[in-house]
Amino acid sequence: MGKYVIRRIGQMVIVLFGATLILFACLFVLPGDPVGSLGGDKARDPAVIQQLRERYGLDKPLVEQYGTYVSNLVQGDLGEDYTQRREVTEVLSPKLGNTAKLAVAAIVIDVVLGILAGLIAALFRYSFWDVLVTLLTTMAIGFPSFVIGMILQSQFAVNLGWFPLISDGSFNSLIMPAFTLAIIDAALVARLMRGTMLEVLRADYVKTAIAKGLPRRTVLLKHVMRNSIIPVVTYIGISFGGLLGGALITEAIFNWDGIGFALVTAIQQQNNPIIVGVVTYGVAVFVLLNLLVDLLYAVLDPRIRLS
Amino acid sequence: MRGAKSAKWVVGAIVVAMAATACGGGSNDSGKGGGAVFRLGITEPTAIDPVNAQESEGTLVARQLFTGLYGVNDDGTLKPLLATSSKANDKGDEWEFQVKPGTKFSNGEPVNAEAFIRGWTRGGAKASASDVGYHLDNIVGYEDLHAGKSDKLTGATAEGENTIKVKLSKPDFEFDKKTVHPVYSPVPKVAGAGDNKAFNDAPIGNGPFKMAGSWEHNKKISLVRNDDYALQKPAVEKVEFTILNPSNAATLEYKGFEKGEFDWARMPTPQLPVAKAKYDPQGEWIKFDSPGINYILTFQEDGPMKSADARKAISYAIDREAIAKGVFQGLQEPATAILPPTFKEVYKADQCTSCMKQDKAKAKEYAEKAGLKPGDTIGFGFNTGAGHEEWVQAVAKQVEDVLGVKIKLEPLPFKEALAKQQAKGTTGLWRQAWSADYPTADNFLTPLLSTSGINPDAAGKAQGDNRGRYSNPKFDELLVKARNTKDAAERTKVYQEAEKLAIDEDQAAIPTWKRTQYRLANSKKFSGLKLDFFEDPNIAEIGIK
Repeated sequence: MGKYVIRRIGQMVIVLFGATLILFACLFVLPGDPVGSLGGDKARDPAVIQQLRERYGLDKPLVEQYGTYVSNLVQGDLGEDYTQRREVTEVLSPKLGNTAKLAVAAIVIDVVLGILAGLIAALFRYSFWDVLVTLLTTMAIGFPSFVIGMILQSQFAVNLGWFPLISDGSFNSLIMPAFTLAIIDAALVARLMRGTMLEVLRADYVKTAIAKGLPRRTVLLKHVMRNSIIPVVTYIGISFGGLLGGALITEAIFNWDGIGFALVTAIQQQNNPIIVGVVTYGVAVFVLLNLLVDLLYAVLDPRIRLS
Repeated sequence: MRGAKSAKWVVGAIVVAMAATACGGGSNDSGKGGGAVFRLGITEPTAIDPVNAQESEGTLVARQLFTGLYGVNDDGTLKPLLATSSKANDKGDEWEFQVKPGTKFSNGEPVNAEAFIRGWTRGGAKASASDVGYHLDNIVGYEDLHAGKSDKLTGATAEGENTIKVKLSKPDFEFDKKTVHPVYSPVPKVAGAGDNKAFNDAPIGNGPFKMAGSWEHNKKISLVRNDDYALQKPAVEKVEFTILNPSNAATLEYKGFEKGEFDWARMPTPQLPVAKAKYDPQGEWIKFDSPGINYILTFQEDGPMKSADARKAISYAIDREAIAKGVFQGLQEPATAILPPTFKEVYKADQCTSCMKQDKAKAKEYAEKAGLKPGDTIGFGFNTGAGHEEWVQAVAKQVEDVLGVKIKLEPLPFKEALAKQQAKGTTGLWRQAWSADYPTADNFLTPLLSTSGINPDAAGKAQGDNRGRYSNPKFDELLVKARNTKDAAERTKVYQEAEKLAIDEDQAAIPTWKRTQYRLANSKKFSGLKLDFFEDPNIAEIGIK
C-alpha cells in the first residue's frame, strides 16, 4: 500500500505540471491585456502598463514565463497578483481556509442528515417517515441553492436576526451558508443511501447472516451499513472536492470570503497569478481526494486490493 | 471548476436577491451600542495608501486618513484645508503654496512642505507604478522621475518650513484644483517607497481619522478619530468599513441598512423606487447630481459616424426624456451638456442643441445630409453586466424607428469591450461615462475630446480616453488658451466656448444622462449627512443627534 500511495503522488505531480502548463498556454492566448486596463471607464497610463509588463515578465515569451513560474512554484512562491500587487499566497490562504471551513461544515451536515434520513427511509420502507423523506428530498433537489440561500438569509438574518447578515468567518456566520450548500447534497445522499440499502437488504449474504442467527444490530452495522455506504462515500468524495473548489453563489449571498468568487473575479480581470494559483490548488485537492476515496474503499471492502 | 461553471448563475442570483429584498422585513434603524460609530459597506479597494488609491472605495478611505492642501465644496469651488494661501505667477507656470504651520502626522512627524513633496515624489516614482501618478505629470521633473532616471521631482521644492514652490511644464491656472486628488497628500518619512507593503496596509496620515489596526483584506477596515487633527475634529469616534463581495454589495448594503447594521447604503438599481417610497418621507433618502456624465462615444476616423451631421442625426433621434421616465423610472435626468451641473461656475445647460428635445424631422434632415440611408448598419457597443442593456436597447430602437437605419448592438465583456474601443478602425457608437477627478472643466474636455487625449501607440491603438478620436485644432487651441488665462471668469468663458464647439457644432460626443446618485443615510443618529463632491459620505463633518 505504501508503494501504491507513492506512485499515486508521483502521478499527482505530473498532473499538476500538466495543468499549470495547459492553463498558462490558455491564458496566454486570451484576448485583452492583463495589465492593460483598470476595470473602469478611464484609460490606464501607458507608462504604468509598460512598467507592470516588465515587472510581471509579460513582455517575455511564454516558455520563459512558464519556466520562471515553475521555478518559483517549487519554492512555494506563486507570484504577485496584478491588481493589489500582494503575494498570491497571502491573498489566497485566508480564502482557502474559509472555503475549507465551509466545505467541512457542509459535508458534516450532508453526511449526518443524508445518511440518517436514508437509513430511516430504507429501514421503515413505505412508512410515514419514508414518504416524508422522499417528499423532502424531492423538494430539496428541485430548489436551486441560491433560492434556499436567499430564503434562509431573509428569514434568519434579516427578520429574526439569529445569524449575522454579513459573514465574519465565525461559527455563527458559518451555519446558514453551510446549510445552503448541504441541503441539496444531503437529499442526494439520502436517496442514494436508501436505494443501495434496500438492495443490500435483499442480498443473499444478508439473508445468510440473519439465518445464521446473528443479532439484527450486528447484521445492520457489519453487513448492511458497510456494504451500502461504498457508493455514498464515492459521492461524498466527489461532492467534497467540488465544495473545496469554492461555492460562488453561496459566497456571494452570505459574503463568505472563499475562493469561488476569487476565481471568477480573477478570470474577469485576467489576474493570471490568482487563476493559476486557484486552479492548481483545485487540481491538487481533487487528485488527493480521489486517492483518499480509493484508500477508503480498501478499508470498507476487503475484496478491493490496492497494488 | 464549480466556480467557473456557476458564473452565469450569479446574475440570476442577483436578480432574485433584488426581488427578495423587496419583501425583506422589519426595519430597525437605530444603531446598536453607545459611542458614535459610523458603519458602512464597501468593496475591497485596490489600495488605501494615497500613492495608488484610485477607485471611489480606495479614495474614500484615503481621504479619511490624509488631508492635503485643498478639498472641494459641493458647488465645485475649492475649500482650503492645509493651504493657507496659494498664488500663481502671471504666466501660470509657477505656483507657491503656504502650508498651515505646526501640524503633525498621527505618529508625531511634522506635516510641512517637505512632507508634501515627499508624497508627490512617491506618487510619481517609477517603483510605485502608480495608476494615479499621472495627475502629477505637469510638474517639471515628473518624466524623469516616472521613467526612473531620477529619484527627485525637481519642479517641486520646499522653501523654509512651510512654503511649497512648484514649476509646471505647461502653464495651468487651475493647478491648485488638481491638488484635491489624494495622490497630492503629504506622507511621513515612515511611508518609505510606494511599494512598502507594511505602510500600504496601515498608512499613517494626518487626516481626521487614523487606522485602528491594519487593513483586514476582504473583511474590514477600522478607523478611529485622530485627536491631533489639524482642522475641525470630527464628531464621529469610529468608522467601520465592512468589505463586501462586489457581485452582491449593493444588496447587502441595502439589507444591512434595513437591519440597522449600516448607517449608509447604496441600493440595487431595481430597488430604488421602493426604497425611495419608504425612506424619502423619513428623511433618510439622499439624491446627488455628481460630477460625471453618461454619453455616447462616436468613432470619427472611419465609418458611419465620420461626419458631424451623422452624429447630429443620431442625437436628434433620441428621446432622452422618454427613456429617463421609462427605463430609469425618473431616477436619471437627460443631459444637455457634457460638463456636469456640479461645476456651477462653468456649467451651462443646453450647450448641445440636438440633446434638448427629440426632433424627428431634423434627425432625418441631418441623416440625409450625411448620406445615412435607411437600411444602413451602425454598430452600437457596450460592456455587459453593468446594467446598460435596457437603455442601450431603447436608444437603438428609437434611432431605428426615426432614421430607418439598422443598429447592430455589440455587447462585450469589459476587457474585450475596451480592446475594441481602443483598436484602430472601430466604427459606429459606444456607450461611455466619465466622472471627475478634480473640479475643472479641463478634466473633462482634455482627456475626452482633445487630440492629446487620443495618444495612439505604434499600432494605432488609442491609449488615452479620447477613443472616438475627435480631433479639431481649433478646439485644442481653445483648451490651451483656457489654461493660460489667469482671470477665472474669462477662463470659464473660453471653456464654455470650447464645449460648445465640440459638443454642438462638431457633435463629437452625444451626451445622454447626468450622473445622479442615490444613497440611504441614517439621519436618525447623524445630522448633516450628505454625498460630497467625490460621491463619498462626508463622515468627518457630520454631527451626532
